Amino acid sequence: MSIDISGAKILFELPLGITITETQVNSWIVMIVITLVCIWLTRGLKVRPESKRQVVAEYIVKTVKKLVSDNMSERFGFFAPFIGAALSLSALSSLSGLLTMFPPTADLNTTLGWSLVVFVIITYYKIKTDGMWNYLKGYTKPVFILTPINIIGEIATPLSMAFRHFGNIVSGVVVSALIYSALAAASGVLYGALGLSGTFISDIMVLQIGLPAIFSIYFDVFSGCLQAFIFSMLTMVYVKMGAGVED
Amino acid sequence: MGNLDFISIDFWHILIAMMNLIILAFILKKFLFKPVNDILRKRQEEVDKIYTDADQALKKAEADRAFYEDKMKNAEKEADNLIKAASVRAGERSDEIINNARQEAVHMISRAEDDIALKRKKAVDGMKDDISDMVIDLAGKVVDKEIDQEIHENLIEEAIENLGEK
Repeated sequence: MSIDISGAKILFELPLGITITETQVNSWIVMIVITLVCIWLTRGLKVRPESKRQVVAEYIVKTVKKLVSDNMSERFGFFAPFIGAALSLSALSSLSGLLTMFPPTADLNTTLGWSLVVFVIITYYKIKTDGMWNYLKGYTKPVFILTPINIIGEIATPLSMAFRHFGNIVSGVVVSALIYSALAAASGVLYGALGLSGTFISDIMVLQIGLPAIFSIYFDVFSGCLQAFIFSMLTMVYVKMGAGVED
Repeated sequence: MGNLDFISIDFWHILIAMMNLIILAFILKKFLFKPVNDILRKRQEEVDKIYTDADQALKKAEADRAFYEDKMKNAEKEADNLIKAASVRAGERSDEIINNARQEAVHMISRAEDDIALKRKKAVDGMKDDISDMVIDLAGKVVDKEIDQEIHENLIEEAIENLGEK
């Protein structure tokens, strides 16, 4: 019995060598869902809330704003939508695995793209705060010889963010696949011992019912939400450090 | 079509992921954060307005209270003044009435005295006439002589006058 773990399924190809895989399609589905939920939540807002929807919408906005102002500073209030986007896109992408979709976060390109956006923002704030000359000069500190190390250190930020997120989600996928195949094998052994192998009953993988869900709670739900949170927290901390904001 | 490798790097996929995140940030800003922030700001404004209104109402009430308390104090003073003025006027009026009465009385007394004097004069005159008539008559009867009545009358009157003057 072999376990086949591969990347996203390529759905179609566009000119210029652009391939559209499950990753992209599922990302767009998640984005559309988030957009629709936002529109639904903010429909008919009142100064005096009448609907639970509005309470939920206000709670989400206040929570994200508080997260941003606590971890960055008040002047980064405009950053809240970006953090909200990173949180929701990451968490829902990971959780889409529960609906047997291919989770976009199990594709390195997705997390790498996100961490590159964060890297661009970090670099923008570093240059804005220190000036281009000081920013470049910062690579030669403390001695000129260390410049390559500094460059690696700079690139390590987005790469570590991308691989951390990717690795955590994909490990969940791998572990899930391993559990499924292990349970399938265990079911086969069980039916063999009961002398039922080869009958129609052996098609029902009895041990695969229910048990993987317990593991899935950790590997998909907990890990997915945790990684979304970690990614957002790291984004805020790195950008704040880049902007040189002191508490 | 097949699958991607387990770990693969594709420039376009990275670009799409970057765009996805940025686009979603703007979507969230437009469809979630902006409307909710607007409503939160409006609520804050409403709350602020309620507070300032309450403060203003309180201030106005305080001012009104001070104004009316002042007025009440003034009213007491005014009432005092009124009573004083009224009593002063009443005093003046009673004095006036008393004076008038006194004058009237004096007037009446003097008139009565005049009256008495006149009456006395009349009575004296009457008595003079009676006495002179009587004397003449008596004298006439006594003397039984023709006496010029007119001369005698004058004589007697003169005598009585002198009598009265004594």
